[in-house]
Parts: sequence; C-alpha cells; structure tokens
Amino acid sequence: MHVPDAGPDRGRELMPHAALDRVQRWMQAVISHPGTVDEGIGSTAAAAEAPGVALEDIVRPSARLTTAERVGIYHGMYMSRMVEALESDYPALQRLLGAHGFADLVRDYVQAHPSRSYTLNRLGDHLPEFVAAAPGLRRRGFCHDLARLEQAISQVFDEEETPALTHEAIAAVPAADWEGARLHPIAAFRLVCVRYPVSAYIDATRGDGSAAPQRGRRPGGVAVYRRAYGVYRLDLTPPAHALMEALVGGATIGEAVVLAQAGRARVLTEDLFLWFRDWMAEGLFCAMTFEGGGPGRTRTFD
Amino acid sequence: MDWFEVLSENFLDTGGRPLHVLDQVAERYPVVLHGVSLSIGSVDPLDRDYLRKLKALARRTRARWVSDHLCWTGVMGRNVHDLLPMPYTEESLRHTADRVRQVSEILERPLVLENPSSYVEFASSTMPESEFIARLARDADCGLLLDVNNVYVSAFNHGFDAGAYIEAMPADRVVQYHLAGHTHQGTHIVDTHSDRAAPEVWQLYARACRRTGPVSTLYEWDEDIPAFEVMHAEAQKACTYRTQVLTAAAS
Repeated sequence: MHVPDAGPDRGRELMPHAALDRVQRWMQAVISHPGTVDEGIGSTAAAAEAPGVALEDIVRPSARLTTAERVGIYHGMYMSRMVEALESDYPALQRLLGAHGFADLVRDYVQAHPSRSYTLNRLGDHLPEFVAAAPGLRRRGFCHDLARLEQAISQVFDEEETPALTHEAIAAVPAADWEGARLHPIAAFRLVCVRYPVSAYIDATRGDGSAAPQRGRRPGGVAVYRRAYGVYRLDLTPPAHALMEALVGGATIGEAVVLAQAGRARVLTEDLFLWFRDWMAEGLFCAMTFEGGGPGRTRTFD
Repeated sequence: MDWFEVLSENFLDTGGRPLHVLDQVAERYPVVLHGVSLSIGSVDPLDRDYLRKLKALARRTRARWVSDHLCWTGVMGRNVHDLLPMPYTEESLRHTADRVRQVSEILERPLVLENPSSYVEFASSTMPESEFIARLARDADCGLLLDVNNVYVSAFNHGFDAGAYIEAMPADRVVQYHLAGHTHQGTHIVDTHSDRAAPEVWQLYARACRRTGPVSTLYEWDEDIPAFEVMHAEAQKACTYRTQVLTAAAS
C-alpha cells in the first residue's frame, strides 16, 4: 500500500494509485452485492481488495452525499437493470410471480449466473433451469414451462432468417418420395415440450390484465416460429407434438408418422394431412432431403 | 433526418427484424455505431469476439465511425452493464490509451470515445477528467464524442466547473455531440435521457460549438419517450443553436 510521505493523509492508508485492477474489483464487488450497499462495502470480496483502507480513501464523498450514498447510486441501478433486462425476456413469468417475487428470483439468479456477455440478451440463458431448481417457488413446474417457452420466443426473435420451402418446391416432390423425405426446420423455429397450458397463459397476460394460470396439466408441445419477422406460436396436441419432435429430430416422414401413431391417442390420416398442410403453410421448414439413388446420395429441395 | 446513431449491441446477435430494419436504414442514411460494452477501461482482456462482431456490423452498415464510452463495465469475466467511471491516474491513462490503439487497429478505423456521466470520484485520481480525456485523445489518436449533458451532470455531482471542462476539450478531436435531459434528485443529478435538456446544457452546447464549429449532434431521449414532434423540436433546437453560434462567429 502507498502511504504519502507528507500532508494531511500521512499515516492513512490510501488505495494505491497503481491499483486500477483493485479499484475495479472493489467497485464491482460492492455494486453487485445482493444485499444493501453497506453490506456490499463490508463484504469479504470488497474488503479483500482494500484491506485497512478507509472508504473515503477509495471514493470521495461529495458536498451533498457520503461515499456510501454515492456508491449506492450504482448499487441500486445494478439490480434494477438486471430485473428490467429479464422482465423484457420473461414478461409472463414476471406477471405470474409479481414484481416482488420476480425481483427476488432475479436477485438470487444473478448471484448464481452473473452476466458474462457483452449483451444483456444472454443474461437469461440459464433462467429456466434455475427456475426448475428454485427452492420455495410456487407452481414451479408451471413456471419452468413458462420460462422455457418465453426463452424460445426470445431466441426465435433473434435467429437468422432462412427462407421457407416454397409451394413450388413442395409440389415438385413425387408422391413416392414423401415417405423417405426428411424435413428441416427454419432457423427461427423452436419446439417446446410443455406439461402445463403456458401458451394460453401468455395469451392471457397480453389481454385485459386479469390473467390467472389455468389449473392442471395439459401436456403437449408449442411450436415457436417466425414468419415475415413476426414471432408466432402454434399449440400442438400430444400426437402432433410427437410427430413434429420426430421430424425435427431427423426422422423421415414415414418414420415420424409411425412414431406419432405409436402413442396412446389415435391419429387419423386426416389429422396428419391437416397438420402437414398447416405446418407447410406457416413456413416451418426450409429444406427437404431425400435418401435414395444409392448409398450416401442425398437430394435436396430448398 | 440527416443520419442515424445505432446502439451497436442491439444488432450484434440478431438475424431478425432489428437487423432487417437497420439494413434498410443504412441503405438510405449515414449510420454511426454507438456501443456500451467495449469496456475500454477494464483490466480484463479485450473481448475479441465482441470486436469481431462490431467490426462486421460497422462494415455492413458502412458506419462513419464507431463510438463507446470512457468507462469500464466489469472485471473478472463479469459484466455489470453499467458505464463505470475510471480513476484518472497515469496508470489508467496508459492502460486505456494502449487499449484504444488496439481497438482502432482491430476495427481498422479510429475509435471515438464519449465522456461519461458519473456519480463517484476515486480518491486515487491525480488529474481532472477533462485533462484525462484530452491527453487520451492525443496519446491514443482517437476522436471524442462530447456529451454536453454528461459534462453538466458530472460537474454538478463532483463540483467542478462545466465551462472549464468544455474549454479543456481539444476542439479538433470532437467529431460528435450528444445532448439529453437529466433528472435532478436534489443531492445529485442522474443522466436519464428522459426529458428536455436543461437551459444550462444548451448554454454549454453553444459554448462548445463556438470552439469546434459545425459538428454532428444527436439528441438522446430513450426514457419516457415523447411524441415524435416533441423530440424533433429538441433536435431542431440544436440546429438553431448551432446555426446562431456559427453565424455570430462568422460575422
């Protein structure tokens, strides 16, 4: 530590001039502390960077504010910014938990998963798994499904634009080739397996303000996709979800249909026709590949 | 509308609507990139992935310049996403100037740095912010984005003379101005971008314009955003101030 040779500071230990790294670690430890700013100042992490140094010898008080009050401005803004960032990605979860409940969740979350990216868009990457394990969270399963669905919506919003299969490309496929065809989803597509009616809850939160989660499980899937730069959701029944899951997992259409029909629910040929018609119309797929014509040979329509 | 300033981070990781809109804007208007995550003053290594994406975006938009803030945003691999002030020391100056030169080389264009608004001053500082910035601009050969509202905010918060700060800026380095409104909390002022600029800020702007001549000016209003007409009127006010100042100087 640097001790001045003369002057009023003689004998007091200042944070040394050549300690940019320590100043920054100290400041970060204080402002990102989950408790009060005083608790942040007194924390082990902060004290380790400035042992024995008076607070006023790190940050000057102003004419109107003490040092703690000045640092407290940054401390208060830190958590507000974290809450605001996650609210924008998880608005329905925030609505479900309420402002205080959500803020408590965020406070605990950013301790476990502080931002390590240049963008706040990545801050919520681990929130669904954190929610799944969060102790004391009411309706945890519902919250987990809701967080996963909202995460998928954010991801789809930012994905690369890939053109969907055209009607002409689809019409050009010979009937005999369909069974062996593999469909490839557009980049801006996510399939979310859910146990609860969270898609309906999101719709309700965007309504008149009287949203309440529906009780009970309602398993199925939600296809989240982007078309003409708008993000859409398509609720899928369990057999439709099984079919879609098989398709996006790389199964041929023939294999996927067999998998979907192996479930408990009866799948009619008319259902299959309607699903495929809707999915193609919504532009969920960008390419088809066909295995045939000899080992290793693949034809692609896109 | 003469040109657009774009918040870089909003477009680095998206292939969706934001980038689609930006492409259309960049086809029709000059664009400058303004970032908040460069963390030029941090002791952490420069984020090469961020710089690679920033460079690609600058090329894509044919950005006239790339700016960020004289600040740090985190250490030890973490980002607190705030524009945190530096201790103004010789060590900080050498450290920051070295990084500015590295960034300019990576981006293959000069970097422009904005003076921050701040709420704390470090006891270890050995020079005023204005001197630090003037020396940094010279040593690292970078441009300056002079945020006049930030000067006013920090001057109130730290008790320095805002006019002297403006006079200390190297006029030939100033390539852009920011104007904005702030929120007065009594004990301190917060740079909120949520209101009309204060009369004192306009006076500082006029004073700065007299020194620099015509420089591109952007009015920041991104909280409690009013009707377009209100915002446009503030931007027009900047044009009027600048014209009056420059006309008076020429006569």
